[in-house]
Amino acid sequence: MISDKIEALLEKVQKAPRYTGGEMNTVLKPWESAKLRFAFCFPDTYEVAMSHLGMKILYAVINEQPTQLCERVCMPWVDMLALMEQENIPLFSLESRRALSEFDVVGFTLQYEMSYTNILAMLKLGGIPLLREQRSDSDPIVVAGGPCAFNPEPLADFIDAFMVGDGEEQIIELNNVIEAWKGSGKPRIECLKALAGVRGVYVPALYDVTYNEDGTLASMKPNCPEAPERVLKAIITDLDKAYYPLEIPVPYTEIIHDRIMLEIMRGCTRGCRFCQAGMLYRPVRERSLERLVEIAQSLESATGYEEISLSSLSSGDYTCLAELIRALMKRLESQRVSISLPSLRLDSVLKESLEATQKERKTSLTFAPEAGTQRLRDVINKGITEDDLLEKARDAFAGGWSSVKLYFMMGLPTETTEDLDGIADLARKVVSAYFETPKGQRAKGLRVTCSASVFVPKPFTPFQWEPQDTIDMVQEKQRHLWEVLKIKGVTFNYHESNLSFLEACFARGDRRMGKVLLRAFEKGCILDGWSEQFKYDTWMEAFAETGVDPAFYAYRRREKDELLPWDIIDSGISKEFLWREKEKSDRAETTRDCRQGCNGCGLQRMKGVCSFCG
Amino acid sequence: MMAVFEKGERLRHIGHLDIQRAMQRALRRSGMPVSYSQGFNPHILVTFASALSTGAAGRRELMDVTLDREVEPDVFLKAMNAALPPDMQLVEARAMEDKHPALMAMVKAADYTIALLDEETSRKCLAAIPAFLGQESIMAMRKTKRGLNECDIRPLIHELREEEGMIRAVLTLTEASSCKPDMLVTALCGFAGCEVPRALVIRNRLLGEDAAGALQPLETL
Repeated sequence: MISDKIEALLEKVQKAPRYTGGEMNTVLKPWESAKLRFAFCFPDTYEVAMSHLGMKILYAVINEQPTQLCERVCMPWVDMLALMEQENIPLFSLESRRALSEFDVVGFTLQYEMSYTNILAMLKLGGIPLLREQRSDSDPIVVAGGPCAFNPEPLADFIDAFMVGDGEEQIIELNNVIEAWKGSGKPRIECLKALAGVRGVYVPALYDVTYNEDGTLASMKPNCPEAPERVLKAIITDLDKAYYPLEIPVPYTEIIHDRIMLEIMRGCTRGCRFCQAGMLYRPVRERSLERLVEIAQSLESATGYEEISLSSLSSGDYTCLAELIRALMKRLESQRVSISLPSLRLDSVLKESLEATQKERKTSLTFAPEAGTQRLRDVINKGITEDDLLEKARDAFAGGWSSVKLYFMMGLPTETTEDLDGIADLARKVVSAYFETPKGQRAKGLRVTCSASVFVPKPFTPFQWEPQDTIDMVQEKQRHLWEVLKIKGVTFNYHESNLSFLEACFARGDRRMGKVLLRAFEKGCILDGWSEQFKYDTWMEAFAETGVDPAFYAYRRREKDELLPWDIIDSGISKEFLWREKEKSDRAETTRDCRQGCNGCGLQRMKGVCSFCG
Repeated sequence: MMAVFEKGERLRHIGHLDIQRAMQRALRRSGMPVSYSQGFNPHILVTFASALSTGAAGRRELMDVTLDREVEPDVFLKAMNAALPPDMQLVEARAMEDKHPALMAMVKAADYTIALLDEETSRKCLAAIPAFLGQESIMAMRKTKRGLNECDIRPLIHELREEEGMIRAVLTLTEASSCKPDMLVTALCGFAGCEVPRALVIRNRLLGEDAAGALQPLETL
């Protein structure tokens, strides 16, 4: 029995609870009772996977179907991985401990580019051929969804079908197609062709790609009548009617977000130009207050969690936020549940009562000005001013906080030394705001943490045509920031520039990146998102050996009319809008929040989808 | 309320702190009128008789839950079992007097079943038990915070015999001195001239002393 062998390994690994399963509210359906078995694969460790809301939603919605079952599979940590390979134990599901290859559908969620080697590792360990062309009729159908599926091409060699857009309804439709095919005796390609008919599903086998001499894309065309010219993402129009689980697994071991996550709305109207999520998840849809209270109460009694966090891209924009918080507090008071949400524009009475529910007082306050000067904030359309920020910081210091985190990006388009110096100016002003607070009023031990990540241009943003700063430029900027941020009370953190470079290659990569990915994996790259595992030099060897130039993807400025690999996907946002935004950013012109009036992003062509459309 | 619960084999790698947290959440889910501590950071009033080591399963683990009002043990049992995962079910609940001494202080010994997962070793070790017990003293290594410590475990072994091809042992378990199953296994394997194999440890029950000083299941005292 594979289970006995697994037990033997669990005695030898760190953090065995990652692999034990059997958590409260997990679903173990009788294997034979289901006609379609779905393995939900999260290409990262258990602690990351179990913190992810999307997985919980889709896991539950599949298990709701009488003829279908869903089990969870996570990426083993290196110690477990090595033992499993050594003992010949296939990658197994947490629920029934069956091998990945026994499932009908193997579905990956693509949350960030640096998890791609984990997908290959999981397929290999699961006994599934890595290349989709090598899979036979009896192999599982390998699908993938999530934000990175909006540029599916770097994974086109490995994934049979991509799911683009909102997954709650789409995944059931996809499963139904596969379930119907399974008993039909028809060849695999027939299943794939049928999948191409599901809204938001992109099947790479059904498209031929040609290139120009300069390496840019010449064409991407369907090679059969079943495949649409472009794949329009799936959109749930009414979140109140969308499926939301009322029971979610409660892990034994501590995970990253160990609490109830309540998705209060999807999408964002702010239009920050660097933000991919802000574009991909449009239009903004809110869940009603009544529905949210109902969900929160059910989840609280099903999990016993002590904390609820409100989740969305910009919770402060939820229309009835104060009413929602009051309603939640009222209903959950007797359960001693604390409600957490990022610092927001709330009236002080509400803020105080909210804080009273929290067991541990939050130690630090976080702001994300993203850029150091107003000019650059206008370029990226980040609608936050220095005055806003300083006013909030003063409030915080007067309210007894002494620790502030400031998030910035470096390498944004048009950035100059002046913008970097602006980061230091801002930090210095925050420090002054602290010392201007009367001594008796402020808490001791000021800590201002400035973090600067490296900007990665992403598809479906106005910066999708922009070059990324070279590693040398980034390192120079990091040195400069290091110098100017030598301020008493301020610490400076920065990100690994090599990792951001690779992320940029995959973010805007095409099908040819698949070769690089496969080679890097064969050379031992896995768990790249964990800095201690990241092997930059090996990656560079993989590029060299496959004859692919990473600079082509990361450092090149694209032309306006260039065919982009992700143009095959219709995100709902038009390329014209994105270009218009790019031109405005060149002029440092801002664009209003959609709530103040429609900006014509492209969704207006779908009647009734966006509630703010002109 | 005194409750007897199981820590199933599937959960044997879950540590004591995680089991405690899982139990607290189950108490919250159960809808039972659990009491909370006073103070700025209130927590559920539940105490566990004894921490079970990571790696071991338990058949009859004990906890003491304080409730705001009286609840029929049967009602408590049903509500908790609906709120607990299949591998962590309650097997018994019984009302407890407020003046009942702390369970933790009453534990004197524990009853274990230990399966040695290597046939040859298991056979040799089981055959060696009578001679092993015939020794006047049995020196074993105990892991403490200060490092390894040698101690005599012979007086700590109340019972040791073969049962259905496995080891059945009753070992002292008090704050002052205790013999952990792994100490016994290491000593027994050493005596039988074998390498220590993988072992499955199941704690069958916790024991206390009755008025006459005899070991009895803790939940009956």
